[in-house]
Amino acid sequence: MAHLLEVEDLEVFFETPGGGPDVHAVRGVSFTLDQREKVGLVGESGCGKTTTLLAVAGLLAPTAKISGRVVLNGQEILGLGDRAMRPHRWTEMSMIFQGSMNAFSPVTTVGRQLADAIQVRGGQPKAKARARARELLSLVGIPAERASSFPHQLSGGMRQRATIALSLACEPKIVLADEPTTALDVMVQAQVMELLDRLCDELGLALLLVSHDLMLVTEMCERLHVMYAGEIVESGSDDQIVGAPAHPYTSRLFAATADLSTSAAPVAIPGAPPRLDHPVAGCSFRSRCDKAFDRCEHEAPVLLPVRPGQEAACHLVEDHDVGEPGLAVPGGSEFIPGGRDGSA
Amino acid sequence: MRSKGDYILRRIASAVGTLFVAVSMNFLLFRILPGSAAVSMAHVPGAGPGLREALTREFGLNHPLYVQYVLYLWQLVHLNLAVSFYYHQPVLGLLISDLGNTIPLVVLGTVFSVVFGVLTGIVGAWLRGSALEHLSVVPALAFYATPVQWLGLMLILLFGSVLPTSGRSDPFLFNPSFAQESLSVLNHLILPSLTLGLVLYGQYTLIVRSAMLETLCEDYVLTAKAVGYSKPRILRVYALRNGILPVISVIALSAGFVVGGAILVETVFNYPGVGLAVYNAILNRDYPMLQGAFLILTVSVVLCNLVADLIYFRLDPRIS
Amino acid sequence: MAAPQIRELPSAEGLTSEDAAASSPMAKVWRAMWGNKTAFVGLVVLVVLIVLSVFAPLIAPYPINQQVGQPFTPPSVHHLLGLDDAGYDVFSLLLYGLRISLLVGFSATIIASALGTLIGIIAGYRGGIIDNLLMRLTDYFLVIPLLPLMIVVADLWGATLFHIIAVIGLLSWTMTAIVIRAQVRSLREYMFIRRARATGASHTRIIIQHILPQVMPLVVANTVLNISYAVFTETALAFLGIGDPSQVSLGTMIEFGFQRGAITDGAWWAIVPPGLLVTVIVLACSLIGRGIETTFNPRLNLAHLSMRRARLIPRPPASQNSRAGGANGTSA
Repeated sequence: MAHLLEVEDLEVFFETPGGGPDVHAVRGVSFTLDQREKVGLVGESGCGKTTTLLAVAGLLAPTAKISGRVVLNGQEILGLGDRAMRPHRWTEMSMIFQGSMNAFSPVTTVGRQLADAIQVRGGQPKAKARARARELLSLVGIPAERASSFPHQLSGGMRQRATIALSLACEPKIVLADEPTTALDVMVQAQVMELLDRLCDELGLALLLVSHDLMLVTEMCERLHVMYAGEIVESGSDDQIVGAPAHPYTSRLFAATADLSTSAAPVAIPGAPPRLDHPVAGCSFRSRCDKAFDRCEHEAPVLLPVRPGQEAACHLVEDHDVGEPGLAVPGGSEFIPGGRDGSA
Repeated sequence: MRSKGDYILRRIASAVGTLFVAVSMNFLLFRILPGSAAVSMAHVPGAGPGLREALTREFGLNHPLYVQYVLYLWQLVHLNLAVSFYYHQPVLGLLISDLGNTIPLVVLGTVFSVVFGVLTGIVGAWLRGSALEHLSVVPALAFYATPVQWLGLMLILLFGSVLPTSGRSDPFLFNPSFAQESLSVLNHLILPSLTLGLVLYGQYTLIVRSAMLETLCEDYVLTAKAVGYSKPRILRVYALRNGILPVISVIALSAGFVVGGAILVETVFNYPGVGLAVYNAILNRDYPMLQGAFLILTVSVVLCNLVADLIYFRLDPRIS
Repeated sequence: MAAPQIRELPSAEGLTSEDAAASSPMAKVWRAMWGNKTAFVGLVVLVVLIVLSVFAPLIAPYPINQQVGQPFTPPSVHHLLGLDDAGYDVFSLLLYGLRISLLVGFSATIIASALGTLIGIIAGYRGGIIDNLLMRLTDYFLVIPLLPLMIVVADLWGATLFHIIAVIGLLSWTMTAIVIRAQVRSLREYMFIRRARATGASHTRIIIQHILPQVMPLVVANTVLNISYAVFTETALAFLGIGDPSQVSLGTMIEFGFQRGAITDGAWWAIVPPGLLVTVIVLACSLIGRGIETTFNPRLNLAHLSMRRARLIPRPPASQNSRAGGANGTSA
């Protein structure tokens, strides 16, 4: 069965100004995305998840050097020039940028910008495009008369909904979402995520969601990949990751999240991620991992299967020390995210 | 959110206020001149007693300073700018005809500098990060750094044999038709406006390049790229449309610089405009002429600033 | 692809991480001048010009008030830049003229920068009524036209260098004040200022210890630009006849070239060098100013549209860093 999107061995380097060593931001990332599937990339800031997304979308800065394969609908799109990439943009694959970003130009109305996309990229005549723009706005819960508003006249939540509307303008098959709700109020966050979830189901879209919010991703996505220092360190279904995380980093991520249903206080992960501009021998997480042993010092672990559908890059996996449900986390208490019995 | 009309009124009021201060400053400066106040204004060399009496009365030169101030403003409203010491004619009439010559010069120079500056600015932004980047910036900086009068002299040295370097039109044309006269005028405008344009264009290059680079880093440009618009379209609709805003402000703010430049350029090219009038007035110590000329120049600068403010306000929907 | 070398992480504009950690902003300014190519070139040029002007009496081959040949003699081995309309050696005139122009430039700028910084800091730090008053004052000074004022001063007290310096200095502090005020206003909100206030430091102390160091880079950049403005203005005043007639400056040289027939005689050597030198001075100052500015506001963001784009490279050999070697991407 052909995947809708296939990423294989993606490597991204960034040149540093001043001619120093390149920053190795993404190190051999591979994953797939199928129709109607929702996949999440999760990790802390700087782990390379956004860069991975931008690489897939072909939007990396000119200082980037990339290798690997990205296959969309059977066609290789990594490293394509603008002209070759254009047919895929927005009509097959669209993006939702972070809420804090100004996705809209401040000097044109929102409706006009939507209509422009439908007209220019979707090939619709002007009047039809205008009507469709208003439809899209209603679809995301914005009153159609706001089409004549300028972006700064919309609230943050409405702007983000408009961004979602924009991403649907040309009826893509895949939506790439980069921290779509991060800059929003908590209440608005829930609404927007629910909207996105519903729309993806209704319109049959595939979603690649990038976020640092582990809870969010486990709720939304059927499958997720945990990234650290530019690599995927664990992959699995949401049930698997929530119920039985195999990589120490994943468990610590859960522990670091405050959960109202238990009385356990969040436990921060000490230390900081490694610098990405010079190579680290061994496992990149070892300096912060309390389960590290001498093998972790000089040998980098590779992704190995833990159980069907789940894999993790940790030497403990090989030694079969992990994989039991209800993995204990530091502190001794069993941690299962509250209020959930493992279903998404 | 205050209404738009409110903003416009406030700007106009502010401009009027600045105008008032400028006019008062003008008055003060020229009253401090040597000789008693009673002497200066009416002291038109070779003028008959009738004229002197009239001027003394109109400008209250026998009265204390504050009276003179009020009368000065009153005369101003009636467009009475006294009589030139040198030409023995009313200042206003002289300056109006001079203004008629200066305006085409300044307009031509500004148009050239804006067009050329915007083009090189866009190119400069586009070339950023490549080796050719300096090609657009260095000449702009260099021309911006040259003294205006010196650049004019250089152009005369270079092109003096090919293009006219003095006057408004060819004085030797016998009974020229309208077309011939116009052609001659245009011909004489080339070098002076080129001088002005070359000095001015540099700052537009830098501004536009800077604004474009800022705009090109904006998120909505990334979004536009993601949507798959063509590069020319993105440049035009997004980058330029946003980046052009600071250019408008700069055009107005350089009005002050243009005034100084016009004075120097007209002097170098012996071009009969307000600038040359200022130069001759300085030479001849023709104070009424000086005062009138500076008044006109200051008023122009304030007006330009106001117009630019209003245009900017119209173009940028974010200002409320 | 070879394994990358381990070196210090450089930041924008070629400063090393050491520099980024340098405590005082002034230290950063110095390093900026050394490390930043544009600023460095400008600095070198300016220093060379200053040295030339200081040692003018020693370097100038001929006295500048003595006729040493026929008027408008073209350049030769004896007279590198020929002779002007009165038979004086242009090269020597140039050196002494440079001296005067730089003197005017620096002196007027000291006044302008000092005044502007003082007013800017007070207005920005104090805020409220004092800020309003000072900004009104600035607006009115902005409106005073330079030329009429200079004419009046020249008529009343004579047009000596002192007067010229005073007029230029007293009218050009406004830009500096506006810019400094803006920065101080934003600085005021920073936590370290509030902490200092909370621990009871006096206003003066805060200004001297905390604010002044932070504004210094901006002051330096602005000062340098003021210098170019002052030199430029002096040439304009000289050209219109309101300069100091007893001193030779680059401005007066251009004026003489214009007034005394150098153009009609085709004696370009009497006109080109002084103007060229002014251009060089202004250019050097601009480069320094821009260099400093770029260092402190490095455009870290890259344009999303440009000529270059991300490029494909061949796959790096499997190293310790890429661990996605074997089985990967298995789907659910």
